[in-house]
Amino acid sequence: MKMPLILLLQLGWRNLWRQRRRNFMLLAAILVAVGGVVLINSLIRGFQYDMMEDAVENLTGHVKVLAPGYRDDPSIVQGFELADGWQPSVPTAELEGWTRRVRVPAVVMSERETRGLNLVGIDPADERDLSFLGTVAMSGERLRDADDSHIVLGRELLTQLDTKVGRRVVVITQGADGLNREAGFRVIGAFDAEGTALEKAFAFTGRTALQRLLDTDAVTEISVRLTDDAHSAEASAELARELPSLQVMDWRQLEPLAAAMFEYSDAAIFVWFLIVMIALAFGLVNTLITAVMERVREFGMLRAIGMRPGQIVLQVLVESTLVMLLGLGGGVVLGMGLVAYFADGIDLSAWAQGVEMAGLRSVLVPRLMAEDVVLVTTLSLVLGLLGSAYPAWRAVSVKPLDALRRGT
Amino acid sequence: MADDVVVVCRQLSRIYDDDGVPVNALDGVDFDVTRGDFVSLAGPSGSGKSTLLNLIGGLDEPTSGNVVVDGTNLADLDQSQRSDLRLNKIGFVFQSYNLIPVLTARENVEFIMQLQGVHAAERHRRAIDMLSSLGIGDLGDRRPGELSGGQQQRVAVARAIVTHPVLLLADEPSANLDSKTTEGLLDLLRTINREHGVTIITATHDPMVMSYARRRVHLKDGRIESDERAGALTV
Repeated sequence: MKMPLILLLQLGWRNLWRQRRRNFMLLAAILVAVGGVVLINSLIRGFQYDMMEDAVENLTGHVKVLAPGYRDDPSIVQGFELADGWQPSVPTAELEGWTRRVRVPAVVMSERETRGLNLVGIDPADERDLSFLGTVAMSGERLRDADDSHIVLGRELLTQLDTKVGRRVVVITQGADGLNREAGFRVIGAFDAEGTALEKAFAFTGRTALQRLLDTDAVTEISVRLTDDAHSAEASAELARELPSLQVMDWRQLEPLAAAMFEYSDAAIFVWFLIVMIALAFGLVNTLITAVMERVREFGMLRAIGMRPGQIVLQVLVESTLVMLLGLGGGVVLGMGLVAYFADGIDLSAWAQGVEMAGLRSVLVPRLMAEDVVLVTTLSLVLGLLGSAYPAWRAVSVKPLDALRRGT
Repeated sequence: MADDVVVVCRQLSRIYDDDGVPVNALDGVDFDVTRGDFVSLAGPSGSGKSTLLNLIGGLDEPTSGNVVVDGTNLADLDQSQRSDLRLNKIGFVFQSYNLIPVLTARENVEFIMQLQGVHAAERHRRAIDMLSSLGIGDLGDRRPGELSGGQQQRVAVARAIVTHPVLLLADEPSANLDSKTTEGLLDLLRTINREHGVTIITATHDPMVMSYARRRVHLKDGRIESDERAGALTV
């Protein structure tokens, strides 16, 4: 005989209030655990996506096109030319921006010091939505356009070269003909990136200005930024069809360490969540067993008046589901509240060196993702139901007559 | 089996295990109850009266022998089918009332009809009518904890008979009641028996309960010692 759900819910709801203190403690435990999981998951997601965005913004893009030999010999000799008016064949809705660059190894000299770096010729207008150059803090001026023959250095490099904005530096690099080129550049600006690695590794000038120095019309890379990483595979395939003689790579291939960390973060979220919820499930089982054992006589009476064993099991499951739903609802709200509280980010600048080594930004901003909330709620319910199965079984394992003989 | 026989017990035995010592709670009992009868099972503690009542209600399983209730052999039923049989054919009244503490008196009476799938409006009406007919119509919205023992037992009786069972089993129904309340309860059971034709079997120590029964069965050491009806000794 089918038992009306409304009856199960009615009984379950009222039974929740029988042991108020115990159920309140259980609810509080679920609430804190779920709220904490939501917040920590959001922080891990924040770290994860910061890492991906850093990888994408550090001149990589979601997808990059290179000459096949460029990664082994990153010089202008491995450049390629694009037809006038060429555009990547990525759907406009998926395309955040794209640019072509010339990136060559170079030596930069001030009056006092010499350093090796990558000299990158850019179209400043393209970089605005594409790379860290669009948002990075600058002292001095930015490059005006692709024809700008000034140079922008990183703040750390400027310190190492013992020079400053407004002075000239000399750059030596190899031209398209294989011969060295040497030119003087006036430093018009210094960029202040997250960490010092970028500041030491790159110097920027206008793309066509650099092409003139190298005596070439070629570029060494096309960088494409997409509206969503999910389009990367499709965009890569499209570009590979369009430019069959070139090598198309996404950011995961170009930044394998960041990509591996990105994947590990997914696993970390899952493992962290499972540890917390399994610990919570033990607490739930313990509380439910106590609650069930206190009501063995009542369950015996219910069976005596005609309730089936399966219906008793269902009732216990409904009651634990109600507790879980209340705890989950409250926990998710608490977690979202905490995420909102930390929406401006957690300032980690006090641990700047460690933070840079860990690949973190100085401000860790939580990132709440609907899929994580769904994962937390769904798996919590499943774990809760699995955890309640044993107490439910205990509830009907006692014969009704034995149950009725037990004291209340 | 004749249609007027509601309960048939044949060679019914129940042996309990008491720390490795077998205890013969019921020893080869043959016992029939006709429809509409009011039977009291009496005897000292350990005589087997409650065991017999529990076996008839399907709450316990015999070591040997069988029980047939309203034509259904309990040995043929699994646990769920026994629950269905109790739900539809047997009403229980327990010594300690055993109402559901989180439901009101009316909801306790409605509960069993909800299990049966009775429509909300009908079960509401029947519950109110039943409580009113038992003299506690004004207590429908109170929870068991807010009722006296006698009132709780009346609610338990209402719950037991609201589904029109063929058999009402009452185990020491007066154990927790004073004599005045017991008298009221027994008047009620007699009315139910006479006016509704519900067959009643009680297990009791209480002479007052026995005095209301039309048939008094006395058990001793797991056997029927005497079986008397309306003043006449039949065994």
